[in-house]
Amino acid sequence: MSERRKATSGSRAGMLAYHALMLAISAVFLLPFYWMTVSAFKTNAEIFSDPVTWLPDPIRWENITALLSRDDFPFVQQFLNSVFYAGSVAVLVCMSCSLAAYSFGCLRWRGRNLVFALTVCALLMPTIVTFLPVYLAWSKLGLTGTYWPLITPFLFGDAFFIFMLRQFFMGVPRELMDAARLDGASEFRIWWQIVLPQVRTPLIIVGLFATVYTWNEFFLPLIYLQDRQAFPLSVGLFTFQSQRAVEWSVSMMGAFLTALPMVLLFLFTQRLFRRGLSSTGLK
Amino acid sequence: MGAVRLSGVRKLYGAIEVIKGIDLTVEAGELVVFVGPSGCGKSTLLRMIAGLEDVDYGAVEIAGKDVTEAPPAQRGVAMVFQNYALYPHMTAYDNLAYGLRRAGMGRDAVDQRVQETAALLQITELLPRKPKAMSGGQRQRVAIGRAIVRKPEVFLFDEPLSNLDAALRVEMRSQIARLHQELRATMIFVTHDQVEAMTLADRIVVLNAGRVEQIGTPREVYHNPANLFVAGFIGSPAMNLLPATLGPDGVALASGPVLGGRSGAGEAVTLGVRPDRLTLAPADGAHLSGEARLIEHLGDETILHLRLPGDRALTIKLPGDVALRIGDRVHARIDMDGACLFGADGRSL
Repeated sequence: MSERRKATSGSRAGMLAYHALMLAISAVFLLPFYWMTVSAFKTNAEIFSDPVTWLPDPIRWENITALLSRDDFPFVQQFLNSVFYAGSVAVLVCMSCSLAAYSFGCLRWRGRNLVFALTVCALLMPTIVTFLPVYLAWSKLGLTGTYWPLITPFLFGDAFFIFMLRQFFMGVPRELMDAARLDGASEFRIWWQIVLPQVRTPLIIVGLFATVYTWNEFFLPLIYLQDRQAFPLSVGLFTFQSQRAVEWSVSMMGAFLTALPMVLLFLFTQRLFRRGLSSTGLK
Repeated sequence: MGAVRLSGVRKLYGAIEVIKGIDLTVEAGELVVFVGPSGCGKSTLLRMIAGLEDVDYGAVEIAGKDVTEAPPAQRGVAMVFQNYALYPHMTAYDNLAYGLRRAGMGRDAVDQRVQETAALLQITELLPRKPKAMSGGQRQRVAIGRAIVRKPEVFLFDEPLSNLDAALRVEMRSQIARLHQELRATMIFVTHDQVEAMTLADRIVVLNAGRVEQIGTPREVYHNPANLFVAGFIGSPAMNLLPATLGPDGVALASGPVLGGRSGAGEAVTLGVRPDRLTLAPADGAHLSGEARLIEHLGDETILHLRLPGDRALTIKLPGDVALRIGDRVHARIDMDGACLFGADGRSL
C-alpha cells in the first residue's frame, strides 16, 4: 500500500515538473508577444522606463489614432492589401491544389506517381534558387510593382499543400466517384460537387495555413513591390520601423495590429490548425 | 430491359491478366449471379460492364449496342455498391435526384420519378434525411432506389448485402427478388455468398482466376458441377471428393468398396458426393469409416466432420440431432444417386 502511495506521489511530482517546464518554455515564446502588446499601449518613455513597467498605466488608446493618422504609414491601405493578398492566395491555393490533389489522389493515369514525385521534389527547392530567373521573367513582362508575380504562381498550386491534400483525397471512397460517373457527372463536377464536400475540413485547414503564410510573407513582396501604398503590412511595418526607429509606441501598435488578425484567426480555428499540423507530420 | 453480351472480354493490370477472355450473354430480364472466391475477378468484370474499368480486349454490348468505349453514364446501367456509396452531404431525395438532374430532366419530372421510386421501396419518409441519419438497411434501400430511379437497361449489384447483418440480409434479398419480379429487369449480381446466389439467380456464373468455370441454373450448378472447382466451391458444406477408379463392376473407392454405377477399365476418377448423400450405417454395410473430429449441432441438422484413413476428410450432413461424440468411430454409406464423377483432368464425366 505504501509503495503504491509512493508511486502516486512520485508521478504527481513528475507531472508538476513537466508542467513547470512547459510553462517556462511557453513563457519564452509568449514574452516577446506580451511585450509587444503592452508596449503598443505605452508612451516611448514608459517602454524604456527603469524599473520595467509590466502594464501600461494609463492605457494609451490614442496610440491607435496616432498610427492610423500617419501619412508615412498608410496602415489601413496596407491592411487591405494584406487581406487581398492573403485572401487571393488562400482561394487560389484551395482551388488549384485541390484540383491537383484530386488528380493525384483519385484519378488513374499513366505516369501519375512520377509526376507526383516531381511535384514533391519542388518542396526541396528553396525559393531563393529560382528567385532570380523568375524575377527577370516578371520584369520582362513589365509586371513588377504589381501583385501579379505574388499571386499568379499559386494558380499552379503549391507542392506542400498538394501533398497535404492528396492524403485526404485518397481517403474519399472510390465508390462515391464511381457512383457519380454512373450518374453522368463530369470529372470536374465530381471534384466540385462530390469530392470537395468530403474534404471540406482539410480544405479549410489549407486555406488557413495559406492565409497565415501569406500574411507573414516578407521577402517576395519586398522584392516585387516598390510603392508604399501597395505594400502589405509585413513590408509596410518593416519600412516604417526602419525609417522611424525612435517611435517605438506607434511601431509596436503597428506590430500589434498586424499580428492581431492572425491571433484571432488562430484562437477561433485552433482545432483545425492542430489537425492540420498532425496530418502533415509537422507536429 | 436490355441483354448484356460479353465477347472475348479481357482485362490486364500491367502483365497480370485478371479477366481471361470471357464470353457471356445475359438475356433481357434475367437475373444472373457472378460467384467465385475472392480475387477471381467477379467485381472487375461487373465494373467492366459498368464502364468503370477499361476493356483491354473484346467487346461489351448492352441492349444491342456496342458500349465498349462508351462512358458509364451512356451505357444505360445503374449500380448498387457494397458500401452503398450514397453522397454523404446530400439528402436521400438529392441522392436519388442527382442522376436525373445530370440527365437534364425538369424539376417536376425529377420530383415525380423520385416520389414514385420512394413509394415502391417504401422509403418516402427517408427522403429528407442524410445517409448518416439512416441505418444500414435504410441506406441500402436508398442505394437501390438511386439505381431504380434512372430506369436503366441493366442493374448491377456489387455485393450489396455483405455489410448487412444476417436478418437484414435475408429481408433485403427477398426485396431484391421481389423487385426483379416486379420490374422484370436485367440484373447482374456479384456475391461470394452461395445462399444469395442459389436463391436469387436465374443463372449462376461461377468464376475462378478470371475464367468462367460454369454457367447454369442453380440446380444445374449444384447437381451437375462441370468440374472439380465448381464441385468444391458450390454447396455448403462442400462436396466430398474421394479418389476412386472405374472398374468392370462400377466405381470402386481407393479404400476398397465397390459402389456400382458407371463401369470402366480402371481409369482413375474422383467421386463427388454431397454431404447429404451420406448416411450412417452399421460397420458391415458401410462404404467408409472414420473418426469424428468435429460435430456441429445446428438444431434441425447435424454436420459431422470425419477423418478417414490416410488423413482424408469427409463431411456428412444428417437430419436432426445425432448422439455422437468427438472421437467416436463412425461408419457411413454413400447414396450413389446424385453422386458426380470427375476424370483425371478434373472435368465432369
